[in-house]
Order: sequence, then structure tokens, then C-alpha cells
Amino acid sequence: MEEQKLKIMVIDDENIVGKRLKPALEKTGDIVETFEEGEKALARFDKEPFDIVVTDIRMEKINGIEILERILAKSSRTKVIIITGYATVEVAREALSKGAFDFIAKPFKPDDLRAIIARASKELKS
Amino acid sequence: MSIIIISSDSKKIEEDIAEKVAAVMDYNRLGPKLLTDVAANYQIDPVKLREALETTPSVFKNMPSKNWRHYLSCIEAEVFDRLLKDNIVCWGLPAHLFVTGISHVMKVRLLASGQRIGKIAEQKGITVDRAEKLIADELRQRKKWSLAAYNLDETDPSQYDLVINLDQIDPTEAAITITNAIEYRKFQPMTYSIKCLSNLALAARVNARLLESMVNIKVQARDNSVVVVTKASNRQKRKKIAAIKELAGDIEGVSYVEVHVKKNILEDAAENPY
Repeated sequence: MEEQKLKIMVIDDENIVGKRLKPALEKTGDIVETFEEGEKALARFDKEPFDIVVTDIRMEKINGIEILERILAKSSRTKVIIITGYATVEVAREALSKGAFDFIAKPFKPDDLRAIIARASKELKS
Repeated sequence: MSIIIISSDSKKIEEDIAEKVAAVMDYNRLGPKLLTDVAANYQIDPVKLREALETTPSVFKNMPSKNWRHYLSCIEAEVFDRLLKDNIVCWGLPAHLFVTGISHVMKVRLLASGQRIGKIAEQKGITVDRAEKLIADELRQRKKWSLAAYNLDETDPSQYDLVINLDQIDPTEAAITITNAIEYRKFQPMTYSIKCLSNLALAARVNARLLESMVNIKVQARDNSVVVVTKASNRQKRKKIAAIKELAGDIEGVSYVEVHVKKNILEDAAENPY
């Protein structure tokens, strides 16, 4: 039986992040959509929920913590992974308290993110 | 899957509460017995290690600054090595001062000055006023030590995630409060905090190795790369860089070493007095 593909959303206002992560994450056969604006990502999520959301924190208009809260309010099963270039203990603890699945500081290797996604996938299937 | 670091101005209280918490959580214990392992692994007299945790450097006490820094760095390296294994209650060591920036480490400070005043007055047969003064002197000494060693005041409550006054909360209630608090999701390990801890552990290993033969060393690690900042005179610069690269590069887990040398004005002046 064919394994079900994961639907992954990547939100980062830096265009290069989505461009680099999309092919890296698609290697495992999963479906990846990238967004540079939080509102557009949330609108897309309203139409169709995603299994995993990878979001940056510092973005204009809507920040990553707000996206985390709004995604989990819409779909509590979705795993939200926070990526940031401004990691601190306080922000990391806030993200986890608000339900983030994991938190990783930029720059990171695609393999690091793939390992987190593999864990998230395992939890989604259990 | 987290780490609890307990500190107090009383070693006995620290140990009592830490034991209670470790028993309830079924966590591993990391206490002052570790100093025996540090002594064995780094070939240091255990008496000197204990002394380094109590006193600031002084030529009169036969504890030169160079040795003091080295002893502390060995304790740090050994503590970090154990903390990488997770699920630990740590006490009786200055881990609360050097394990910084790790979100899955919960630091607890236990206050018990009130009850200690009565006990000390009774044990030593002195007045309450005199006992109060003794405790105040002890706290001043700890503040002085922690500032000299880690540039942090260990008596400052804002350094901790949880502060419990044992004059108001009994030890069993305190242990329950700690075990409940560590269950908060914010204290669970995450990729970021695990990486920060392993970076600190690697930096501590390199620091301990370099301080064995050098002074003025600061080490930072990221993944398998380390950056060492040091001081040297113009004449010594190349030799020191080569020595650091050789020593640090030899340590397990290090794949790249970068050395930044600041000018040692005093040495330069001594070498070129005119």
C-alpha cells in the first residue's frame, strides 16, 4: 500500500528559504507549498488544512507565534515547527508553551528539518 | 526529559530537596560526588576542586587564578557531559551559573535564611543577631565568588525560573511544586535547546583542555566548529594559534577551529620596552 504523502506548508518572508526548503522537503515525496506572507498562508490553510506547517517568527503583519496560534485553533492535529534567526530561551519557551511541535534556529541543515518532520509524521500516524 | 538545577545558600537543603525531586521524577542525580570523577579524569587533587568552588583566586591561599579557572573549567566540562544524557536533577555544583540559555533546563533557587538563622544560633550557641550576620557574610561571599567565576550574582532571584521560600513552604510541598513545574511544556527539550546544550558541552571540553596550559581563553562552539578568542603578543601570536588549533582540533567532536587573537598590550610592552 502506498504511504500517504504529507502536506507541508512553509512560511517565510525571505524568498530564499522557501526556494531552498521546497526541493529539499519534496525529496521524500511529500507535497510542499511555500508562502512569503502569513495572511496568504492562513487563507490557503482555511481552504485545505496541512499536516505540517513550518513558519518563521519575525515577519511583517503576522508573526510566527500568531500563525502558530491561529493554525492550532483551526486544526489541533497539525504540527507547527518554528524556524527563526532570532532564537532566545524566552521565544523558544513561548513557542513550545503555545503548542509548537519543535523549534529550530536558523541557519540549519535541511537534514535537521527533515528529521523533525519525520518525528512529526510518526506522531501524526500514531 | 528535562533538567532541573537546584541551588540554595544551604548545601543540606539543596541535597534534601534534590533527592526528593529525583525520587518522585525517577531522574538521575548529579551532585557534588561528581568532583571525584572530575579529579580522576583530569588528574586534579579533589581537595583543590572543592576549594575552587568555595574561594576566589588568591596567591595567599595557594590558588592562583590560572589554576582556579582551569579547575572550574574541568568541573564545567564534566557537568555538561552528564547533562547531555537528560532527565537529571543537579545540585551542589555551580551548574546554575554556567548552564545558560538552555530552555529545557529549569533553575530553582531555595531560600531558607529564616530557618537557618535559628539553627545556626542553636548549634553554635550564639545570638540570633550574630547568626544573621554570619548568614549575611556567607551570602556576600557567594555573591563575590559567583561574580568572579561567572560574572553572575547567584543570590539574585531573577537568575532563576522558580524561587521557593522554605520559611513558608515545607520541603515536601517544595518538591511537589518543582515536579509540577518541570512538566510545563516550555521546559521540554526541543531541537534548538538540545543543540545549544551540545554546543556548550563542546565549548566546555575545548576550554578545559586549553586552560590546562593557557590563560585568557574564551571558546564558543556551533555544531562541530569552535571559535577561540585569546590574547597574545605579536611575537607569540603564530605560536599560540598553532598550539590552540592542535589542542582543540584533537578533541572529539571538533572538525574546525578558528582562533581570534587580541593584542596583549602588557606582553608587547614588556617585549619592546623602548
